[in-house]
Amino acid sequence: MSVVKKVGVGSLWVLLVLVTAIVTAAVKQRFDDGPNRVFSGGALVSGELHLGPEPDWSFVNDIATIELQLLEPEQSRRIWTASVDGKVYVWSGYMNSLVGKLWKSWPAQAERDGRAVIRVDGVRYERQLVRIKSGAGMEELTALMNEKYSSQATPATIDSGDLWMFEAAPRNTAGAH
Amino acid sequence: MQNLYVRIAAVVAVTALSVLVIPGVDDAVELFFQIVVLVASS
Repeated sequence: MSVVKKVGVGSLWVLLVLVTAIVTAAVKQRFDDGPNRVFSGGALVSGELHLGPEPDWSFVNDIATIELQLLEPEQSRRIWTASVDGKVYVWSGYMNSLVGKLWKSWPAQAERDGRAVIRVDGVRYERQLVRIKSGAGMEELTALMNEKYSSQATPATIDSGDLWMFEAAPRNTAGAH
Repeated sequence: MQNLYVRIAAVVAVTALSVLVIPGVDDAVELFFQIVVLVASS
């Protein structure tokens, strides 16, 4: 067997191991309590359920990511967040790109059924994701997002549909925007 | 050829079991995947 063929065959075996490992890890995560890094997790089970008055969400501006779970389907993911005027927002970017259309399914699922649970610092909050389609009045939020995550969000990217913005409003409300 | 299929099945099974059973392997695999995605998207 030539050296080139040996390297080719060896590479295929390595590829088989890597693909198997990645698929297995992704499937395993679906049955865990929440997400880990990039793979979606299962329902958020552990943690106290917040039942008190609506908190001032500005504390999430000091937190890199939160865990977000939809009720339909019961899958969770780690996600960026920011708060302005005491409200909490989550979003999904690159929605007009091929990667966004193939990779990101939760925004469309959230638009169909916005019932969600978020977990922050081990505390779970029942929320209703309400999509904001207009960037008008979102300048302060997008500026905060850019400062916090070095992203390039603008009200125009919300208008164009490239950035899907959601207010994680209290459950059973229509949102405030 | 049949021997090849058996070897493939064995590699898949051992790899999957390792990820499922050995603590920390799943996290390491996810970290590797995260880095690959980051590199590919940059």
